[in-house]
Amino acid sequence: MIHVLIVDDQALNRILLSKMLEQEGYKISVAYNGLDALNVLKREQIDVVLLDVLMPVMDGFEAAEKIKQLYSEVYLPIIFITSLDDQASFERCLAVGGDDFIHKPFEKVILHAKIKAHIRTRELSKKANQQKKLLEYHHNQIEREHEIIEHIFNNSLENQGKFKEYLDFNLSPASMFNGDMFLVAQSPIGNLYCMLGDFTGHGLAAAIGALPVSRVFYTMAQKGMAVNDIACELNTLLYNLLPGHMFCAATIIELSASGKSVSAWMGGLPDAYLIDKDGNVKQTLESQHMALGILDEQEFEYEVIHFETNSNTRLVLATDGIIETANKEDIFFGEERFLQTLKSKSMISSEDIVANVTEFADGTKQQDDLSIVLLNCLPLIPEEQEREAFSTLAFNLSLSLNSEQIKKTDPVYDIVNILSSVEGLNAHRSNIFLLLSEAYNNALDHGVLGLNSKIKQQEDGFFRYYELREAALAKLTDAMIIIDMRYCPDTLSLYFIICDSGRGFSSKQDELSKVNNEFGRGVSLLEEIAEKVTYNACGNQVEMCYKLS
Amino acid sequence: MSLTKNESVDGTTLTIQIKGKFDFNLVQSFRQAYAQMNEKTVKVIIDLRETEYMDSSALGMLLNMKKTIDSQVKTIEISNCQPQLRKILQISRFDKKFDIS
Repeated sequence: MIHVLIVDDQALNRILLSKMLEQEGYKISVAYNGLDALNVLKREQIDVVLLDVLMPVMDGFEAAEKIKQLYSEVYLPIIFITSLDDQASFERCLAVGGDDFIHKPFEKVILHAKIKAHIRTRELSKKANQQKKLLEYHHNQIEREHEIIEHIFNNSLENQGKFKEYLDFNLSPASMFNGDMFLVAQSPIGNLYCMLGDFTGHGLAAAIGALPVSRVFYTMAQKGMAVNDIACELNTLLYNLLPGHMFCAATIIELSASGKSVSAWMGGLPDAYLIDKDGNVKQTLESQHMALGILDEQEFEYEVIHFETNSNTRLVLATDGIIETANKEDIFFGEERFLQTLKSKSMISSEDIVANVTEFADGTKQQDDLSIVLLNCLPLIPEEQEREAFSTLAFNLSLSLNSEQIKKTDPVYDIVNILSSVEGLNAHRSNIFLLLSEAYNNALDHGVLGLNSKIKQQEDGFFRYYELREAALAKLTDAMIIIDMRYCPDTLSLYFIICDSGRGFSSKQDELSKVNNEFGRGVSLLEEIAEKVTYNACGNQVEMCYKLS
Repeated sequence: MSLTKNESVDGTTLTIQIKGKFDFNLVQSFRQAYAQMNEKTVKVIIDLRETEYMDSSALGMLLNMKKTIDSQVKTIEISNCQPQLRKILQISRFDKKFDIS
């Protein structure tokens, strides 16, 4: 029900208006002056105010001004009650916020029509206000979500501040979120991995792919995988994840720890350049493949580019935002200007380059994300790996293999896997493998199978040897190899005893010194890797001690 | 345990990558990997980044390869060795015959 407030100090006017409006079905409140009206407005939901001009305590002018100030959110119409001859005060009524007039003597039809018209405006204003509030709510919601996402994005990027000596990069997103992405990581042996990626478009939709990509990149770099394997994994990930029209142009590079070589997988980004310190281009590296996320796993292209580098070499990677930056005349920055910029200064910085591009753009709005990476190809030092503490539990492990088991199993590999699961031993697994493999294969090849290593010296003897081995192994019966292991945490030692059912091989000592021959290399390796190697008198048992410290 | 080979885009570099265990089980596939090499190949990279284990039979296989392809290629590089494998190569003086990185 429409609620009308009648403000008049004269009882006659109040009664007249109340009667007229009540008949039309309005709800009525009354006030005796301006101040009184303000109090009623505080209590009641008023839709229209009928306001007299001259009243004691607070007149209509003052009251109108205050009402308009207090209730500005939704249109609250004020209709002044005036005499027809009071032309002078009309202007003032409008100036203080009056919306209309009703003249005495009151005419019911006109009064009703005026109220209806103003109520329509008030309804529209209410709707607009509701929508405004809804918009504000959504806007705040989005802002908050963006803050959270920005936080996650920033935290998802590791190592960004590291490798300052090696890397100089500048990423300028066109909007809050960057569709360009730069990732960097180091492998356990010290190789440095970098990835510059450019997702289709820009803004949040483009940036969202960076999260899963960064996870896969860091994990694979940590394992020291090859750039094309990383690219393949990312391709599959994005192929499955992104909608059909989205993809990620990317270059993934790996700088060897020596700083002397780089391998690169390049898919869809503009040319990269190898430059010297003065910016002269030594080599232009063209993208070879389609961007990530377009081809399915079967179609994926693995080919990489290898090139040699040295401490004077710099590698320049950029996204198309740089060369496609346009000025007011719609001319692109282009490759020529880019190459000139690289030469404009010795050891140019990414900031210098972006400044040049920005100057060229001369105030035109940035259309796409701009990214530039400069890599100095210097030697790297591997990060210190944390050493696992050694298990304090001493144990023995013993196994004996009969002919059938010798034929069917790969005991060395399995034992190494078992030992690797003991705390502290994993870091030594390659050495443990070598010791066991040499000793076991000696026991098998020369002890049990009775093969002679001299075969390897003949023309193509190396392959002949393994053919003979396979044949002898197939025929093997009544043989036994026993492997005993002991772990001593007190002395941090591993002891191995490998004993075979063969006749022993006394000629072994002769082979020891011939490091450059095709055989005997294994025995000398044992001596170097193990703390101590001893053979029993008849040559069918070897005992080795390996120090873990 | 597996072996993959890749040619670089321009065909001048052959990369043989060995995953897991590098020992006599790979004798045949390793030999096949360099048996019919592209004529343009001048560099062979034995990429050991994913090789966890090797023994003296792997060393024998590497020397055999060197004998076979030495006349064609300029460099044979053994790259991305983990420290323990690098030590094995050094003990065996392989650094004198191969580029180890």
